[in-house]
Amino acid sequence: MGKPEVKGTVTSLSSVFPPEEMQKAAKMVEGKLSEKQNEMNQLKEFIADNTSLINLVQKLPDELHHDIMVPFGKAAFFPGRLIHTNEFLVLLGESYYADRTAKQTVEILKRRGKSLMSKVDALKAEMQDLKAEASFFDSTASEVADDLVEIREYEEDNSTERVSQSGPVELESPSVAEADNKVSASEDDEYARLMSRLEELEKEELAAEDEDANANATETETDSDEDELTEAAFHRKKVEGYSSLDHNQRYLVSQPRKQLQQSKGKDPMNEEMSTTYNHQDLTNQLACTGLTAEPVTKGEISRGRIVHQDTKMLNPPVNASVPSEKTSLKQIIHDSSRNEKPVQTPKSEFDSSKAFTGSIIEHTENLEKKLPEQKTTSSQSSDSKPSKPVSRFKMQRK
Amino acid sequence: MSSSSIALRELQRDLENKANDLSKLQKDIAKNHQVRKKYTIQLGENELVLKELDLLKEDANVYKLIGPVLVKQDLAEANANVRKRIEYISAELKRLDGSLQDLEEKQHSKREAILKVQQRIQSHQAGKAKA
Repeated sequence: MGKPEVKGTVTSLSSVFPPEEMQKAAKMVEGKLSEKQNEMNQLKEFIADNTSLINLVQKLPDELHHDIMVPFGKAAFFPGRLIHTNEFLVLLGESYYADRTAKQTVEILKRRGKSLMSKVDALKAEMQDLKAEASFFDSTASEVADDLVEIREYEEDNSTERVSQSGPVELESPSVAEADNKVSASEDDEYARLMSRLEELEKEELAAEDEDANANATETETDSDEDELTEAAFHRKKVEGYSSLDHNQRYLVSQPRKQLQQSKGKDPMNEEMSTTYNHQDLTNQLACTGLTAEPVTKGEISRGRIVHQDTKMLNPPVNASVPSEKTSLKQIIHDSSRNEKPVQTPKSEFDSSKAFTGSIIEHTENLEKKLPEQKTTSSQSSDSKPSKPVSRFKMQRK
Repeated sequence: MSSSSIALRELQRDLENKANDLSKLQKDIAKNHQVRKKYTIQLGENELVLKELDLLKEDANVYKLIGPVLVKQDLAEANANVRKRIEYISAELKRLDGSLQDLEEKQHSKREAILKVQQRIQSHQAGKAKA
């Protein structure tokens, strides 16, 4: 498989984070952290004092008067009494005092305690931030010391390279699809190619426009047909599902749609929605997303058909454009029927997943069978219901 | 050569002056910060007092500590005083904010001027070295 282009940058951490600055920053953060720690200690002291004061204030009114040793000056005490045990002169702040009872004092003190707690919480949050900073600096400092190097790689999808290389391999040994990335990449390539081919074919067909008047009937038919086809394909193929494929399919299908729209001036939204809708129907029915990929990977043929169906569903009045799509489908089918190799090779190129290559091969076989019979497009399981595709094409040809 | 050395000395003197101005400005900014902090704390305290005063009953005794004297005050009077003080402090804070911005702008421009002088000195010295 081709290697994806890898662009990368290799930066030594010491250039991005010079060690001296790292140390300085670490020291600064440590300093701030210690400051906050001091503040925290102070606040905790306040809270402790507050709680002890509350206890004291609650105990004092238990007695009418308390016998105590009263401080006198700097170094003396004398025995005395503490009276008016329920009256407190409480400092409200800014040199304002108020007479309060014990209960009221306790309330005031509790309110003060609450504000202190909120301050402590704020401080804790700040300290946590600082600790995170410090740990970051420490880790980067150690990395710089170890001369670690930062490597960044940017992968590019060189899916074309990959696809071309994997093509022959897949042709030889179809097997279960490989990694999702490859599949998606290869699908991208497939779709891109299919789109480009579709465009070419459409241009050719635009020159010769057909009529179309079957929007509704064919729509329903196509819906059911698609379901049947997908189921048949499922049974035939033993592909494991890849959810990523669904996305790719929808996305990729919408892309050709867009191109078609541009060329034909259809409503892009409707078409895209219809394509996704169709594919969703398919995916819902199929256990394996790989199967849903199949109709898409069938490639030009299936896609062309789906596109036709969608357009029919969406824009019945837009008939002129539809026939052109159908004719393109026909041409695609003809091409595929006549030349297995060209069909196969592009398909194999598109599919990095071996499973798809297997399915593609089957498709072409089916087409070959069908084409001589009905000249219908890519329906895989149309064997069971040849009438519908036949009728469809007949109507298309009109 | 002497002329260039004289010019160099002048430039260096200019640089010194500018550096002094810058340090003065920085001191002013630091003072401003301190005063702002003080005022902010006082504002918080006064708001707390106002809250407590609101919780007091009408006939509760309120005292104000003026120096060593505890003076009894009327509740309404105390309320009014505290509110006035709050307004005064907020006005002061606003004024300080404005002056702080001015100081910071001046400091910024001083720094730029110093850089220019330094560059001129460097070019002079380079020229001297070549000569």
